[in-house]
Amino acid sequence: MKLHAAIWVAPCAAFWLALAGTTASAQLSGAGDDPDALAKELENADAQADGSVRDPWEGFNRKMFAFNDGLDRKLMTPTAKAYRAVTHKKQRKGIRNFMANLRTPLIFVNDILQGEPKRAGETLGRFFINSTIGFGGMGDPAERMGIAQHSEDFGQTLAVWGVDSGPYMVLPFLGPSTMRDGFGAGVDLTLSPAFWISTDPAMYFQYTTAGVGVITAREPLIEPLDGIRADSLDFYASIRSFYLQSRKREINNGRTTYEDLPDIGDFEEFDELE
Amino acid sequence: MTRLNRRSFTACAAACFVAIGIAQPAAADQAAETYVQNLLDEAAPRLTSGDQEAMLAAVDELVDKYVDMRRVGRFVLGRAARQMTDEQAAEYFPLFNDYAKMVYRNTMENYAGQKLVVTGSVDRAAYDIIVNSKVANPEPGDQFADAVIHWRIYRDKEGNMSIFDAGANEIWLAIEQQEQFTSIIANNGGGVKGIDALIKDMKARLNG
Repeated sequence: MKLHAAIWVAPCAAFWLALAGTTASAQLSGAGDDPDALAKELENADAQADGSVRDPWEGFNRKMFAFNDGLDRKLMTPTAKAYRAVTHKKQRKGIRNFMANLRTPLIFVNDILQGEPKRAGETLGRFFINSTIGFGGMGDPAERMGIAQHSEDFGQTLAVWGVDSGPYMVLPFLGPSTMRDGFGAGVDLTLSPAFWISTDPAMYFQYTTAGVGVITAREPLIEPLDGIRADSLDFYASIRSFYLQSRKREINNGRTTYEDLPDIGDFEEFDELE
Repeated sequence: MTRLNRRSFTACAAACFVAIGIAQPAAADQAAETYVQNLLDEAAPRLTSGDQEAMLAAVDELVDKYVDMRRVGRFVLGRAARQMTDEQAAEYFPLFNDYAKMVYRNTMENYAGQKLVVTGSVDRAAYDIIVNSKVANPEPGDQFADAVIHWRIYRDKEGNMSIFDAGANEIWLAIEQQEQFTSIIANNGGGVKGIDALIKDMKARLNG
Protein backbone atom coordinates (compact mmCIF):
# COMPACT_ATOMS: atom_id res chain seq x y z
CA MET A 1 0.00 0.00 0.00
CA LYS A 2 2.94 2.24 0.70
CA LEU A 3 4.06 1.80 -2.86
CA HIS A 4 0.63 2.61 -4.19
CA ALA A 5 0.44 5.73 -2.07
CA ALA A 6 3.69 6.93 -3.56
CA ILE A 7 2.48 6.30 -7.08
CA TRP A 8 -0.64 8.39 -6.88
CA VAL A 9 1.26 11.43 -5.67
CA ALA A 10 2.55 12.16 -9.13
CA PRO A 11 -0.60 12.21 -11.22
CA CYS A 12 -2.39 14.22 -8.59
CA ALA A 13 0.42 16.73 -8.54
CA ALA A 14 0.00 17.02 -12.28
CA PHE A 15 -3.71 17.42 -11.73
CA TRP A 16 -3.40 20.44 -9.45
CA LEU A 17 -0.74 22.02 -11.54
CA ALA A 18 -2.92 21.65 -14.58
CA LEU A 19 -5.80 23.29 -12.77
CA ALA A 20 -3.60 26.01 -11.36
CA GLY A 21 -2.48 26.77 -14.89
CA THR A 22 -5.81 28.50 -15.35
CA THR A 23 -6.92 29.31 -18.81
CA ALA A 24 -4.22 27.83 -20.94
CA SER A 25 -5.21 24.26 -20.35
CA ALA A 26 -8.90 24.67 -19.75
CA GLN A 27 -11.18 22.81 -22.12
CA LEU A 28 -14.44 24.25 -23.32
CA SER A 29 -17.30 21.94 -24.04
CA GLY A 30 -20.38 24.10 -23.89
CA ALA A 31 -19.79 27.71 -22.90
CA GLY A 32 -22.79 29.82 -23.62
CA ASP A 33 -25.24 27.01 -22.89
CA ASP A 34 -28.23 27.83 -20.77
CA PRO A 35 -27.54 27.31 -17.10
CA ASP A 36 -29.21 24.11 -16.02
CA ALA A 37 -30.58 23.13 -12.68
CA LEU A 38 -27.49 21.19 -11.78
CA ALA A 39 -25.24 24.15 -12.35
CA LYS A 40 -27.44 26.26 -10.12
CA GLU A 41 -27.29 23.72 -7.36
CA LEU A 42 -23.53 23.50 -7.59
CA GLU A 43 -22.78 27.15 -8.02
CA ASN A 44 -22.09 27.97 -4.39
CA ALA A 45 -20.65 24.61 -3.41
CA ASP A 46 -17.24 25.97 -2.46
CA ALA A 47 -18.29 29.15 -0.73
CA GLN A 48 -19.85 30.04 2.56
CA ALA A 49 -23.03 32.05 2.87
CA ASP A 50 -21.05 35.30 2.90
CA GLY A 51 -19.17 34.29 -0.25
CA SER A 52 -15.84 33.69 1.46
CA VAL A 53 -13.84 30.54 0.82
CA ARG A 54 -14.06 27.74 3.36
CA ASP A 55 -10.48 27.34 4.48
CA PRO A 56 -10.58 26.46 8.18
CA TRP A 57 -7.17 24.79 8.04
CA GLU A 58 -5.40 27.72 6.43
CA GLY A 59 -2.42 27.56 8.78
CA PHE A 60 -1.69 23.92 7.90
CA ASN A 61 -2.56 24.51 4.28
CA ARG A 62 -0.08 27.39 3.96
CA LYS A 63 2.71 25.22 5.37
CA MET A 64 1.90 22.45 2.90
CA PHE A 65 1.66 24.96 0.10
CA ALA A 66 5.13 26.33 0.92
CA PHE A 67 6.48 22.77 0.93
CA ASN A 68 4.89 21.98 -2.44
CA ASP A 69 6.05 25.30 -3.88
CA GLY A 70 9.64 24.60 -2.79
CA LEU A 71 9.44 21.18 -4.39
CA ASP A 72 8.07 22.73 -7.54
CA ARG A 73 10.84 25.33 -7.77
CA LYS A 74 13.68 22.95 -6.97
CA LEU A 75 12.56 19.80 -8.74
CA MET A 76 9.50 20.14 -10.95
CA THR A 77 10.36 23.33 -12.81
CA PRO A 78 13.97 22.34 -13.65
CA THR A 79 12.75 18.91 -14.78
CA ALA A 80 10.03 20.47 -16.93
CA LYS A 81 12.58 22.86 -18.48
CA ALA A 82 14.97 20.02 -19.20
CA TYR A 83 12.15 18.06 -20.81
CA ARG A 84 11.33 21.04 -22.99
CA ALA A 85 14.97 21.42 -23.97
CA VAL A 86 15.36 17.87 -25.23
CA THR A 87 12.03 17.47 -27.01
CA HIS A 88 10.35 19.08 -29.98
CA LYS A 89 6.99 20.82 -29.61
CA LYS A 90 5.28 18.19 -31.77
CA GLN A 91 6.79 15.39 -29.72
CA ARG A 92 5.52 16.96 -26.50
CA LYS A 93 2.08 17.36 -28.02
CA GLY A 94 2.09 13.70 -29.00
CA ILE A 95 3.12 12.60 -25.52
CA ARG A 96 0.44 14.80 -23.94
CA ASN A 97 -2.13 13.26 -26.26
CA PHE A 98 -0.94 9.79 -25.35
CA MET A 99 -1.21 10.51 -21.61
CA ALA A 100 -4.67 12.01 -22.11
CA ASN A 101 -5.76 8.93 -24.02
CA LEU A 102 -4.65 6.73 -21.13
CA ARG A 103 -7.04 8.62 -18.87
CA THR A 104 -9.97 8.16 -21.23
CA PRO A 105 -11.37 4.97 -19.62
CA LEU A 106 -11.42 6.77 -16.27
CA ILE A 107 -13.24 9.70 -17.83
CA PHE A 108 -15.70 7.30 -19.49
CA VAL A 109 -16.53 5.61 -16.16
CA ASN A 110 -17.15 8.98 -14.51
CA ASP A 111 -19.26 10.17 -17.47
CA ILE A 112 -21.45 7.11 -16.93
CA LEU A 113 -21.59 7.58 -13.16
CA GLN A 114 -22.70 11.17 -13.71
CA GLY A 115 -25.51 10.10 -16.04
CA GLU A 116 -24.01 11.85 -19.06
CA PRO A 117 -24.53 9.34 -21.91
CA LYS A 118 -23.73 11.87 -24.66
CA ARG A 119 -20.42 12.80 -23.09
CA ALA A 120 -19.70 9.12 -22.38
CA GLY A 121 -20.27 8.39 -26.06
CA GLU A 122 -17.89 11.17 -27.02
CA THR A 123 -15.28 9.83 -24.64
CA LEU A 124 -15.64 6.32 -26.01
CA GLY A 125 -15.49 7.62 -29.56
CA ARG A 126 -12.36 9.60 -28.78
CA PHE A 127 -10.72 6.54 -27.28
CA PHE A 128 -11.36 4.31 -30.29
CA ILE A 129 -10.49 6.95 -32.87
CA ASN A 130 -7.32 8.13 -31.18
CA SER A 131 -6.17 4.63 -30.24
CA THR A 132 -6.45 3.46 -33.85
CA ILE A 133 -5.99 6.10 -36.50
CA GLY A 134 -4.41 8.34 -33.86
CA PHE A 135 -1.40 6.00 -33.62
CA GLY A 136 -2.16 4.62 -30.18
CA GLY A 137 -3.22 7.99 -28.82
CA MET A 138 -0.21 10.05 -29.95
CA GLY A 139 -2.44 11.96 -32.35
CA ASP A 140 -5.83 13.51 -31.70
CA PRO A 141 -7.83 13.05 -34.90
CA ALA A 142 -11.00 12.97 -32.79
CA GLU A 143 -10.48 16.63 -31.95
CA ARG A 144 -10.27 17.48 -35.64
CA MET A 145 -13.51 15.54 -36.17
CA GLY A 146 -15.17 17.85 -33.66
CA ILE A 147 -15.14 15.53 -30.65
CA ALA A 148 -13.57 17.75 -28.05
CA GLN A 149 -11.69 16.43 -25.07
CA HIS A 150 -13.21 16.92 -21.63
CA SER A 151 -12.09 15.95 -18.17
CA GLU A 152 -13.90 14.00 -15.49
CA ASP A 153 -12.87 12.48 -12.19
CA PHE A 154 -14.59 10.96 -9.22
CA GLY A 155 -14.45 14.22 -7.26
CA GLN A 156 -16.63 15.76 -9.97
CA THR A 157 -18.90 12.73 -9.89
CA LEU A 158 -19.37 13.14 -6.15
CA ALA A 159 -20.22 16.80 -6.70
CA VAL A 160 -22.84 15.85 -9.28
CA TRP A 161 -24.26 13.38 -6.77
CA GLY A 162 -24.68 16.26 -4.35
CA VAL A 163 -21.69 15.68 -2.09
CA ASP A 164 -20.53 18.94 -0.56
CA SER A 165 -16.95 20.01 -1.35
CA GLY A 166 -15.97 20.21 2.31
CA PRO A 167 -13.16 22.49 3.39
CA TYR A 168 -10.37 23.54 1.07
CA MET A 169 -7.10 21.81 1.79
CA VAL A 170 -3.58 21.56 0.45
CA LEU A 171 -2.06 18.12 0.61
CA PRO A 172 1.67 17.48 0.65
CA PHE A 173 2.76 16.60 -2.91
CA LEU A 174 -0.85 16.53 -4.11
CA GLY A 175 -1.50 20.26 -3.90
CA PRO A 176 -4.82 22.13 -3.77
CA SER A 177 -7.91 20.05 -3.17
CA THR A 178 -11.00 19.78 -1.06
CA MET A 179 -12.14 16.97 1.19
CA ARG A 180 -14.39 15.66 -1.57
CA ASP A 181 -11.85 15.98 -4.37
CA GLY A 182 -9.07 14.40 -2.32
CA PHE A 183 -11.26 11.38 -1.65
CA GLY A 184 -12.25 11.31 -5.31
CA ALA A 185 -8.61 11.25 -6.42
CA GLY A 186 -8.07 8.17 -4.26
CA VAL A 187 -11.05 6.41 -5.83
CA ASP A 188 -9.84 7.31 -9.34
CA LEU A 189 -6.57 5.60 -8.56
CA THR A 190 -8.33 2.37 -7.76
CA LEU A 191 -10.22 2.50 -11.07
CA SER A 192 -6.97 1.80 -12.91
CA PRO A 193 -6.52 -1.96 -13.57
CA ALA A 194 -2.79 -1.57 -12.96
CA PHE A 195 -3.55 -0.59 -9.36
CA TRP A 196 -4.79 -4.09 -8.62
CA ILE A 197 -1.91 -5.93 -10.28
CA SER A 198 1.13 -6.48 -8.08
CA THR A 199 3.56 -7.57 -10.76
CA ASP A 200 6.75 -5.69 -11.53
CA PRO A 201 5.66 -4.65 -15.04
CA ALA A 202 2.44 -3.21 -13.60
CA MET A 203 4.44 -1.27 -11.03
CA TYR A 204 6.84 0.05 -13.68
CA PHE A 205 3.88 1.04 -15.82
CA GLN A 206 2.35 3.01 -12.97
CA TYR A 207 5.63 4.69 -12.05
CA THR A 208 6.36 5.60 -15.64
CA THR A 209 2.93 6.96 -16.46
CA ALA A 210 2.88 8.89 -13.19
CA GLY A 211 6.27 10.45 -13.82
CA VAL A 212 5.60 11.27 -17.47
CA GLY A 213 2.17 12.58 -16.53
CA VAL A 214 3.62 15.08 -14.08
CA ILE A 215 6.31 16.33 -16.44
CA THR A 216 4.02 16.67 -19.44
CA ALA A 217 1.42 18.51 -17.37
CA ARG A 218 3.99 20.84 -15.83
CA GLU A 219 5.90 21.79 -18.99
CA PRO A 220 3.25 24.00 -20.67
CA LEU A 221 2.65 25.73 -17.36
CA ILE A 222 6.20 26.97 -16.81
CA GLU A 223 5.48 30.53 -17.93
CA PRO A 224 1.87 30.84 -16.68
CA LEU A 225 2.79 29.69 -13.17
CA ASP A 226 5.90 31.88 -13.14
CA GLY A 227 3.65 34.78 -14.11
CA ILE A 228 1.14 34.11 -11.37
CA ARG A 229 3.92 33.69 -8.83
CA ALA A 230 5.51 36.98 -9.91
CA ASP A 231 2.27 39.00 -9.98
CA SER A 232 0.65 37.69 -6.83
CA LEU A 233 0.69 39.52 -3.54
CA ASP A 234 -0.45 36.28 -1.91
CA PHE A 235 0.47 33.30 -4.09
CA TYR A 236 -1.37 30.87 -1.81
CA ALA A 237 -4.66 32.77 -2.05
CA SER A 238 -4.18 33.23 -5.76
CA ILE A 239 -3.75 29.51 -6.45
CA ARG A 240 -6.66 28.71 -4.12
CA SER A 241 -8.88 31.04 -6.13
CA PHE A 242 -7.74 29.66 -9.49
CA TYR A 243 -8.22 26.09 -8.28
CA LEU A 244 -11.73 26.64 -6.95
CA GLN A 245 -12.84 28.68 -9.96
CA SER A 246 -11.48 26.05 -12.36
CA ARG A 247 -13.01 23.25 -10.37
CA LYS A 248 -16.44 24.85 -10.41
CA ARG A 249 -16.33 25.09 -14.17
CA GLU A 250 -15.24 21.47 -14.53
CA ILE A 251 -17.99 20.25 -12.24
CA ASN A 252 -20.54 22.21 -14.27
CA ASN A 253 -19.19 20.47 -17.40
CA GLY A 254 -18.67 23.81 -19.05
CA ARG A 255 -22.33 24.81 -18.77
CA THR A 256 -21.81 28.45 -18.12
CA THR A 257 -23.66 30.13 -15.30
CA TYR A 258 -22.97 33.65 -14.16
CA GLU A 259 -25.43 33.71 -11.29
CA ASP A 260 -22.87 32.86 -8.65
CA LEU A 261 -20.53 35.73 -9.44
CA PRO A 262 -20.13 38.11 -6.52
CA ASP A 263 -22.31 41.14 -6.86
CA ILE A 264 -20.53 44.27 -7.99
CA GLY A 265 -23.01 46.40 -6.09
CA ASP A 266 -25.94 48.41 -7.24
CA PHE A 267 -26.13 52.06 -8.18
CA GLU A 268 -26.66 53.26 -4.65
CA GLU A 269 -23.70 51.43 -3.19
CA PHE A 270 -21.37 52.93 -5.76
CA ASP A 271 -22.79 56.43 -5.62
CA GLU A 272 -20.29 57.31 -2.94
CA LEU A 273 -17.53 56.70 -5.45
CA GLU A 274 -18.76 59.40 -7.78
CA MET B 1 -65.02 23.83 -23.48
CA THR B 2 -65.72 21.64 -20.49
CA ARG B 3 -64.48 22.53 -17.06
CA LEU B 4 -61.92 19.74 -17.26
CA ASN B 5 -60.75 20.92 -20.63
CA ARG B 6 -60.46 24.48 -19.42
CA ARG B 7 -58.38 23.26 -16.50
CA SER B 8 -56.22 21.19 -18.82
CA PHE B 9 -55.79 24.09 -21.19
CA THR B 10 -54.88 26.43 -18.34
CA ALA B 11 -52.42 23.91 -16.95
CA CYS B 12 -50.84 23.38 -20.36
CA ALA B 13 -50.62 27.11 -20.99
CA ALA B 14 -49.06 27.65 -17.58
CA ALA B 15 -46.60 24.83 -18.18
CA CYS B 16 -45.67 26.24 -21.58
CA PHE B 17 -45.26 29.70 -20.09
CA VAL B 18 -43.00 28.38 -17.36
CA ALA B 19 -41.08 26.23 -19.83
CA ILE B 20 -40.54 29.17 -22.14
CA GLY B 21 -39.50 31.30 -19.21
CA ILE B 22 -36.98 28.71 -18.09
CA ALA B 23 -35.71 27.93 -21.57
CA GLN B 24 -35.10 31.52 -22.58
CA PRO B 25 -31.52 32.61 -22.13
CA ALA B 26 -30.82 35.77 -20.19
CA ALA B 27 -31.29 38.80 -22.38
CA ALA B 28 -28.45 39.88 -24.58
CA ASP B 29 -27.26 43.46 -24.39
CA GLN B 30 -26.45 44.94 -27.79
CA ALA B 31 -25.03 48.17 -26.40
CA ALA B 32 -22.60 46.33 -24.14
CA GLU B 33 -21.58 44.02 -26.98
CA THR B 34 -20.86 47.00 -29.21
CA TYR B 35 -18.89 48.64 -26.41
CA VAL B 36 -16.65 45.58 -26.02
CA GLN B 37 -16.28 45.05 -29.78
CA ASN B 38 -15.11 48.66 -30.10
CA LEU B 39 -12.54 48.00 -27.39
CA LEU B 40 -11.37 44.83 -29.15
CA ASP B 41 -11.19 46.57 -32.53
CA GLU B 42 -9.17 49.38 -31.00
CA ALA B 43 -6.91 47.00 -29.11
CA ALA B 44 -6.16 44.49 -31.89
CA PRO B 45 -3.82 46.56 -34.08
CA ARG B 46 -2.10 48.08 -31.06
CA LEU B 47 -1.47 44.74 -29.36
CA THR B 48 -0.25 43.00 -32.50
CA SER B 49 2.24 45.60 -33.69
CA GLY B 50 5.19 43.45 -32.61
CA ASP B 51 6.80 46.29 -30.69
CA GLN B 52 6.85 45.16 -27.06
CA GLU B 53 7.23 48.64 -25.57
CA ALA B 54 4.44 50.06 -27.70
CA MET B 55 2.22 47.14 -26.81
CA LEU B 56 2.69 47.59 -23.08
CA ALA B 57 2.06 51.31 -23.40
CA ALA B 58 -1.10 50.53 -25.36
CA VAL B 59 -2.34 48.25 -22.58
CA ASP B 60 -1.94 51.09 -20.08
CA GLU B 61 -3.82 53.51 -22.33
CA LEU B 62 -6.63 51.05 -22.99
CA VAL B 63 -6.96 50.33 -19.27
CA ASP B 64 -7.14 54.05 -18.51
CA LYS B 65 -9.81 54.48 -21.17
CA TYR B 66 -12.02 51.45 -20.54
CA VAL B 67 -11.47 50.14 -16.99
CA ASP B 68 -12.97 51.85 -13.96
CA MET B 69 -10.01 51.26 -11.66
CA ARG B 70 -11.54 52.98 -8.65
CA ARG B 71 -14.57 50.73 -8.76
CA VAL B 72 -12.48 47.59 -9.21
CA GLY B 73 -10.07 48.72 -6.51
CA ARG B 74 -12.91 49.05 -4.08
CA PHE B 75 -14.43 45.69 -5.04
CA VAL B 76 -11.23 43.73 -4.44
CA LEU B 77 -11.05 45.02 -0.87
CA GLY B 78 -14.30 43.22 -0.05
CA ARG B 79 -15.96 44.30 3.16
CA ALA B 80 -12.80 46.05 4.33
CA ALA B 81 -13.50 48.77 1.76
CA ARG B 82 -16.01 50.30 4.15
CA GLN B 83 -13.38 50.60 6.87
CA MET B 84 -10.72 52.27 4.74
CA THR B 85 -9.73 55.72 6.00
CA ASP B 86 -9.44 58.72 3.69
CA GLU B 87 -5.66 58.69 4.14
CA GLN B 88 -5.50 55.04 3.19
CA ALA B 89 -7.76 55.60 0.19
CA ALA B 90 -5.49 58.39 -1.04
CA GLU B 91 -2.58 56.00 -0.92
CA TYR B 92 -4.33 52.80 -1.95
CA PHE B 93 -6.11 53.75 -5.18
CA PRO B 94 -3.02 55.02 -7.07
CA LEU B 95 -1.13 51.93 -5.90
CA PHE B 96 -3.95 49.67 -7.04
CA ASN B 97 -3.98 51.42 -10.40
CA ASP B 98 -0.28 50.63 -10.88
CA TYR B 99 -0.59 47.08 -9.57
CA ALA B 100 -3.60 46.21 -11.72
CA LYS B 101 -1.91 47.62 -14.82
CA MET B 102 1.09 45.43 -14.12
CA VAL B 103 -1.19 42.39 -13.95
CA TYR B 104 -3.10 43.39 -17.10
CA ARG B 105 0.17 43.93 -18.98
CA ASN B 106 1.45 40.49 -18.04
CA THR B 107 -1.89 38.86 -18.81
CA MET B 108 -2.30 40.58 -22.16
CA GLU B 109 1.16 39.49 -23.23
CA ASN B 110 -0.18 35.94 -23.38
CA TYR B 111 -2.90 36.99 -25.76
CA ALA B 112 -0.80 39.17 -28.00
CA GLY B 113 -1.38 38.38 -31.64
CA GLN B 114 -4.93 37.19 -31.09
CA LYS B 115 -7.88 39.00 -32.61
CA LEU B 116 -11.05 38.62 -30.55
CA VAL B 117 -14.65 38.90 -31.66
CA VAL B 118 -17.74 39.30 -29.49
CA THR B 119 -19.97 36.22 -29.48
CA GLY B 120 -22.80 37.23 -27.15
CA SER B 121 -23.79 38.68 -23.82
CA VAL B 122 -25.82 38.02 -20.69
CA ASP B 123 -27.50 40.64 -18.49
CA ARG B 124 -27.01 39.87 -14.81
CA ALA B 125 -28.65 43.18 -13.92
CA ALA B 126 -29.21 46.53 -15.56
CA TYR B 127 -25.81 47.61 -14.30
CA ASP B 128 -23.98 44.28 -14.61
CA ILE B 129 -23.49 42.66 -18.03
CA ILE B 130 -21.24 39.82 -19.16
CA VAL B 131 -19.98 40.05 -22.75
CA ASN B 132 -18.27 36.98 -24.21
CA SER B 133 -15.68 36.87 -26.95
CA LYS B 134 -13.43 34.35 -28.62
CA VAL B 135 -10.43 34.20 -30.88
CA ALA B 136 -11.36 34.98 -34.47
CA ASN B 137 -10.13 32.40 -36.99
CA PRO B 138 -7.74 30.54 -34.68
CA GLU B 139 -4.87 28.60 -36.19
CA PRO B 140 -5.17 24.80 -35.97
CA GLY B 141 -3.94 23.70 -32.57
CA ASP B 142 -4.11 27.23 -31.13
CA GLN B 143 -4.24 26.83 -27.34
CA PHE B 144 -6.82 29.61 -27.14
CA ALA B 145 -8.98 28.30 -29.98
CA ASP B 146 -11.77 27.17 -27.68
CA ALA B 147 -11.29 29.76 -24.96
CA VAL B 148 -14.13 32.09 -24.05
CA ILE B 149 -12.86 35.49 -22.97
CA HIS B 150 -15.34 37.29 -20.72
CA TRP B 151 -15.76 40.99 -20.09
CA ARG B 152 -17.82 42.12 -17.14
CA ILE B 153 -19.34 45.52 -17.82
CA TYR B 154 -20.64 48.01 -15.30
CA ARG B 155 -23.27 50.48 -16.56
CA ASP B 156 -24.03 53.54 -14.48
CA LYS B 157 -27.35 55.36 -14.19
CA GLU B 158 -26.53 57.57 -17.18
CA GLY B 159 -25.77 54.53 -19.33
CA ASN B 160 -22.00 55.02 -19.34
CA MET B 161 -20.15 51.72 -19.46
CA SER B 162 -16.80 50.58 -18.14
CA ILE B 163 -14.94 47.29 -17.82
CA PHE B 164 -15.21 45.90 -14.34
CA ASP B 165 -13.53 42.50 -14.72
CA ALA B 166 -12.07 40.23 -17.36
CA GLY B 167 -11.76 36.49 -17.37
CA ALA B 168 -11.19 33.41 -19.46
CA ASN B 169 -13.21 30.22 -19.27
CA GLU B 170 -14.95 31.44 -16.12
CA ILE B 171 -11.78 32.32 -14.25
CA TRP B 172 -12.03 35.97 -13.30
CA LEU B 173 -9.17 38.34 -12.51
CA ALA B 174 -10.93 40.65 -10.05
CA ILE B 175 -12.34 37.72 -8.11
CA GLU B 176 -8.88 36.21 -7.82
CA GLN B 177 -7.49 39.58 -6.75
CA GLN B 178 -10.25 40.00 -4.20
CA GLU B 179 -9.31 36.66 -2.68
CA GLN B 180 -5.69 37.72 -2.41
CA PHE B 181 -6.43 41.15 -0.97
CA THR B 182 -9.00 40.00 1.57
CA SER B 183 -6.67 37.21 2.63
CA ILE B 184 -3.84 39.66 3.29
CA ILE B 185 -6.16 42.01 5.17
CA ALA B 186 -7.62 39.21 7.29
CA ASN B 187 -4.22 37.71 8.11
CA ASN B 188 -2.93 41.07 9.30
CA GLY B 189 -5.54 41.98 11.83
CA GLY B 190 -8.34 42.99 9.46
CA GLY B 191 -9.84 46.45 8.94
CA VAL B 192 -7.59 49.49 8.97
CA LYS B 193 -4.60 47.51 10.22
CA GLY B 194 -5.05 44.92 7.50
CA ILE B 195 -5.33 47.56 4.79
CA ASP B 196 -2.07 49.10 6.02
CA ALA B 197 -0.41 45.71 5.56
CA LEU B 198 -1.89 45.40 2.07
CA ILE B 199 -0.61 48.83 1.08
CA LYS B 200 2.82 47.87 2.38
CA ASP B 201 2.78 44.65 0.32
CA MET B 202 1.68 46.51 -2.80
CA LYS B 203 4.48 49.04 -2.42
CA ALA B 204 7.00 46.24 -1.94
CA ARG B 205 5.77 44.42 -5.05
CA LEU B 206 5.72 47.51 -7.24
CA ASN B 207 9.13 48.65 -6.06
CA GLY B 208 10.63 45.17 -6.07
